[in-house]
Amino acid sequence: MKILFFGPLKEITGCGEISLRCPGVDTDTSGVWQLLLQAYPGLASSRRVVRLARNAVYVGPQARFQDHDEVALIPPVSGG
Amino acid sequence: MEIDIQLTAAPFPWRCPPPSGASHGAWVEFRGIVRGEEKGAPIAALDYEAYVPMAEREMRRIIEEIAQRQPCLAVHVIHRIGTVLAGEPAVYVGIAGRHRMEAFAFLDEFMVRLKQDVPIWKQRALTSAQLRKAKLGRTEGGAPTGRRSRPATTRGVPKAAPPAAAAEVLALLRQLCRPLKPERVPLADALGRVLRKTARAPEDQPAFDRSSVDGYAVRLVDSTSAFRIVDEIRAGDWKPRALRQGQAVRIATGAAAPSEDLRVVMKEDAEVRGDTLTLLRREAHRNLRFRGEDARLGQELIAAGTVLQPGSLALLASLGCAEPLVTRLPRVLHLATGNELVSPDQKPGRGQIRDSNSTLVRAFLAPRGIAPLQRRVTEDQASVKAELDRARLEFDLLLISGGASVGDHDFTRGLLEEAGFAIHVSKTTARPGKPLIVARRGRTLAFGLPGNPLAHYVCLNLFVSTALDAWAGRPDPGLFHTGTLAADLTGADPARETFWPAEWRLEQGQVALTPLPWRSSGDLTSLAKANALIRVAPGTKGLARGCQIEFARAERIA
Repeated sequence: MKILFFGPLKEITGCGEISLRCPGVDTDTSGVWQLLLQAYPGLASSRRVVRLARNAVYVGPQARFQDHDEVALIPPVSGG
Repeated sequence: MEIDIQLTAAPFPWRCPPPSGASHGAWVEFRGIVRGEEKGAPIAALDYEAYVPMAEREMRRIIEEIAQRQPCLAVHVIHRIGTVLAGEPAVYVGIAGRHRMEAFAFLDEFMVRLKQDVPIWKQRALTSAQLRKAKLGRTEGGAPTGRRSRPATTRGVPKAAPPAAAAEVLALLRQLCRPLKPERVPLADALGRVLRKTARAPEDQPAFDRSSVDGYAVRLVDSTSAFRIVDEIRAGDWKPRALRQGQAVRIATGAAAPSEDLRVVMKEDAEVRGDTLTLLRREAHRNLRFRGEDARLGQELIAAGTVLQPGSLALLASLGCAEPLVTRLPRVLHLATGNELVSPDQKPGRGQIRDSNSTLVRAFLAPRGIAPLQRRVTEDQASVKAELDRARLEFDLLLISGGASVGDHDFTRGLLEEAGFAIHVSKTTARPGKPLIVARRGRTLAFGLPGNPLAHYVCLNLFVSTALDAWAGRPDPGLFHTGTLAADLTGADPARETFWPAEWRLEQGQVALTPLPWRSSGDLTSLAKANALIRVAPGTKGLARGCQIEFARAERIA
């Protein structure tokens, strides 16, 4: 999975993009977070406010993710 | 409804033309301007960041959703990204509607939703001093070239950067290593290279209807039972002719059919006397391989990005592609530093060891067709510097194996900095391989590899192989696979992510991994069997037999 970080999350991870291996065929939202927090425990405090997008579309808690997906962590936005 | 959305780094004009159309009664425009102060302090600019594909998509979705309740005729949106100076518009929205109230209401709702859902961020406010500095940084631009005067660190990478997790180093390498230029090479040299131009069928495959058996071609619809043989066609012949009722042509396997709408009677199903053919059996099968049956003209046969294997090379040969376009190989310089090293054919004196890393590096690169230039150098500044200067332009990849002596890490790092390399990574949290260095100068990527052989083995197979794959232009298939642990793994350091040497094999169709004995990174003996690395997540002391684990396969022959 390609994982993208934006805004303040980039400060925490120190990079804009990483790739993570999906364990098994697919995984759910908490699976993705588990992988992320393993790599970057510093993201834990942002989890409450971060939304996930799969292939450039917001997804809900029921979403499943596969290895070829691009997953973006979207912190609160501030455009305009 | 007309929708036009732009995300742009360039300032946009103050006047934006309204859409043309007879039914517009209102054209409402809004510009959001960057204020000259934030939280009471003066600012000179704001930096905007966007997840561009999603931002565009999300804006379109919002517009279409609002339009269902609040019809309008046209929506134009421009949003700036990058640095926007105070006083400049960061966002522009123009709405055309039949009446003004509709357009105002649309605009208002759109702006509210934009600020809620569209992935665009104000990154930071810049003071005028920061803005000047940022502009200066931009005009310098480009990849850092060899500057000796000041020890270089990449802009933005602090000197004492914290140790990087393995995943971060891998992501960085994929970012730093863009595919190298393609070149044409003869088929004989193309094994293992990455194809850069998709190979397509230059004509239908097969190019003509051909018989798949030895037999007799007759018309598809012909109820005659005794045929007259009027001709003979062998493989390689080209004898087009129309067959009449009652006519047959003797035809060999692979030979071109004389016309369409035929079938071939197998010779076993016919009896021949002189030039008369009598059918013994009528079979439904036409016994022909039809034109374009295997591939149609222009059909994609081998996609760009494919690693060429014996089979795909044979296919290229059959297509007439004698010099495929493939990624060029990187040029590699390997320096083994260390005063204690002697070559493998020598007997080490007291305190000395044989240099095994040079053999490891050469063998690791060999399956990729890369032959490195290798030098063994003593750990003194002058001799290594002389070698580094050679690496100025000729080499894409510089591998420095640190000696086992104390301080080898700082020695390598100091040398690279002195030679004008920007240090991107100076430590990883991964074990083994903690003192890994990743640096770059111009086109040359450098790795400082920790001296002991097992750490070498791990760093080559994780980090260097990722750089080589990215350079080659291989699609990123992910480094890790899933397998089953065939024995308990104990003794991992729970404080760090560990890559444990292992032997993988297929056991009843399942990938089974046996962890190899490993006490310290200096251990050599596990290299006898190692062909994989098990990833042990931080926080894990051990893993029980039978559990599912992630592993990376090591570079291997065939």
